[in-house]
Amino acid sequence: MTNAEAPALEITGLKFRYAGADAGAQGRGAWTVEVPGLVVGRGERVLLSAASGRGKSTLLNLIAGLIDLGSPHEAEGTIRVAGRNIHALHGAERDAFRGRTIGMVFQTFHLLRGFSALENVMAAMMFSSIAAREHEGRARALLSRLGIDGALAASEPDELSVGQQQRVAVARALACDPALVLADEPTASLDPENARAAVELLKGVCAEKGAALVVVSHDPGAGAYFERRESL
Amino acid sequence: MAMNDWSIIGRSLRTRGASTVITAATVGVAVAMLLVLLSMRDAGERAFSRGSGNAHLVVSRDSSPLTTVLNVIFYADPPGRFIEWREYERLANSAPFAWTIPTQQGDSYKGLPVVGTTGEFFTEFRPHERDPWRLTPRRRGDAADGRFFERPFEVVVGSRAAESTGLRVGDVIYLTHGIPRSRQSADPNAMEPHVHTEFAFTVVGVLEPTGSIHDRALFTDLVGSWVLHAHDRRVLEQPGVKTTTEADLLEEDRKITGVLLRVATRPGMMDATASLQPVFNQLRADQTITVAQPVQQITTLFNIVSNVDRILIAMAGVVLVSSAISILLALYNSMDQRRRQVAILRVLGCSRSRVFGLVLTESAIIGLMGAAAGVGLAYVGGRIAAGALQASIGLVVEPRLPVELVMACAMAAVLLAAVAGAIPAAMAYRTEVWRQLRPAA
Repeated sequence: MTNAEAPALEITGLKFRYAGADAGAQGRGAWTVEVPGLVVGRGERVLLSAASGRGKSTLLNLIAGLIDLGSPHEAEGTIRVAGRNIHALHGAERDAFRGRTIGMVFQTFHLLRGFSALENVMAAMMFSSIAAREHEGRARALLSRLGIDGALAASEPDELSVGQQQRVAVARALACDPALVLADEPTASLDPENARAAVELLKGVCAEKGAALVVVSHDPGAGAYFERRESL
Repeated sequence: MAMNDWSIIGRSLRTRGASTVITAATVGVAVAMLLVLLSMRDAGERAFSRGSGNAHLVVSRDSSPLTTVLNVIFYADPPGRFIEWREYERLANSAPFAWTIPTQQGDSYKGLPVVGTTGEFFTEFRPHERDPWRLTPRRRGDAADGRFFERPFEVVVGSRAAESTGLRVGDVIYLTHGIPRSRQSADPNAMEPHVHTEFAFTVVGVLEPTGSIHDRALFTDLVGSWVLHAHDRRVLEQPGVKTTTEADLLEEDRKITGVLLRVATRPGMMDATASLQPVFNQLRADQTITVAQPVQQITTLFNIVSNVDRILIAMAGVVLVSSAISILLALYNSMDQRRRQVAILRVLGCSRSRVFGLVLTESAIIGLMGAAAGVGLAYVGGRIAAGALQASIGLVVEPRLPVELVMACAMAAVLLAAVAGAIPAAMAYRTEVWRQLRPAA
């Protein structure tokens, strides 16, 4: 259960270093991710900026519980999402929590190939407690809100433009009404005009749904779209 | 419709359509091989065990006891040498037999064997220990009620023979002297098979199915058969002879090809074992004939067949295992592409164990598809194999696919497929999400 009063994201004293070969060029001396403290309130929108290779994507994976904060890696600190220490959850429990609490938007979208836009959004609800009979209606409404309806909703990702794919990815991230949306370099492959549109879309939809938005980006221009900016 | 595990599995199978079909087909072939072999073995055992019925011994002048049983009881080929009638009479009186029944083969009707015998064939001999012969009831269009033959030139038709030829009571037929494609017809000195239009035989009865080889034979009075053969002799001796009757028969015409015997048991005793062995030993002392105990020969035959049978079943097992390996390879090769899909599903909240289950279920479904195809293939294959057996050695087998056998083979295929899917499933289970979703990946 999530605590409705708790911040969407609360990081305390986070230090993380990959084990073995994943340690990369930084070597064993440096931390891959180092965040002394970060609190993102409900519905708040934050840009985390840093140069390439400073562990932005790793941080998002740690927040989502996709990388363990601990063995085999070296780590300190805690990450709380909607009041729960996500790394205190294990296995299926953590997966289920992630599914219903966190939405993720990737730089390359990572839509499911072979499935339509509608099915991609419905896939997010497969692992939630939302009744199956509501999945299609919710997915259609969300896609329609983002301008993907009719034949487009039935199209597979390869048949959609980059902008349309991004909208599907955003719809999928918000399908389960998450408390927190994590977006990894959402403007990286877009021209300035489309980058602005993409960020505005993310911000707008998250605001409508009451979801906090954490965007990581190395794009200096992205800062212009966010009232709150944090450097890593 | 909402997405669920089945839609993911179904889409995955469809995306790899060609691979899915080929892999399922290999499973199907293996299951079909197993089913055909097992059902044919059972059908063969049934066919053989029902044929010799209540006869204790069989006699012919064939070269071996097994050939004697195959030729006299299972009509594999007409015995090559004759037994003279007076020799038969001597044999029949040489021991305390409950009954002796002479048979003569060598004639046919539309390729089906015609057996010349006596009325005791229907009153004493039973194709199966407990089941006496039964005639089919009169049907609309039959000329009369069915009965067993009572005089020469009357014919009783086995159930399958009637089915394949369309013969009914009252029909008149002409027998062929000789059997096309038989060992006799391969003998350059033997007379070419020819139809005796001079002698009309009347169908007087059609037998109920017995589930034995006798169902595909026709039975007629021995004297009629002798007359047919005597006519050929007379035509050779006196060209222009138009017809032959029982009165024209010479001693040399009265010959048979086999004898069915049942030894007499002591009053009140059902088991003939004690009295059978001395009689068997006594008859075996005669070097001019071959005596066989059908039960013993059938057991010998099955011992020979079962060795081949075991090899074939082992081969089918190997094919089944190799088809499971092909499932493993197909899924393994697809894992590179699927790891990304697995990673996305994990991000969406899918647990590792559910991912494992998805891949395992997909593998099992390929096994199930293969098993279903295999059952269909086995049904057709069984019919083809039965037809080939009938055409090549004249053995009638009725392949059946018992539900238990089908279920056991299908379950074996599904289980093996699931086991084969365990390795790719474990790979999916161990997929590290963050590695798969890195932009570089």
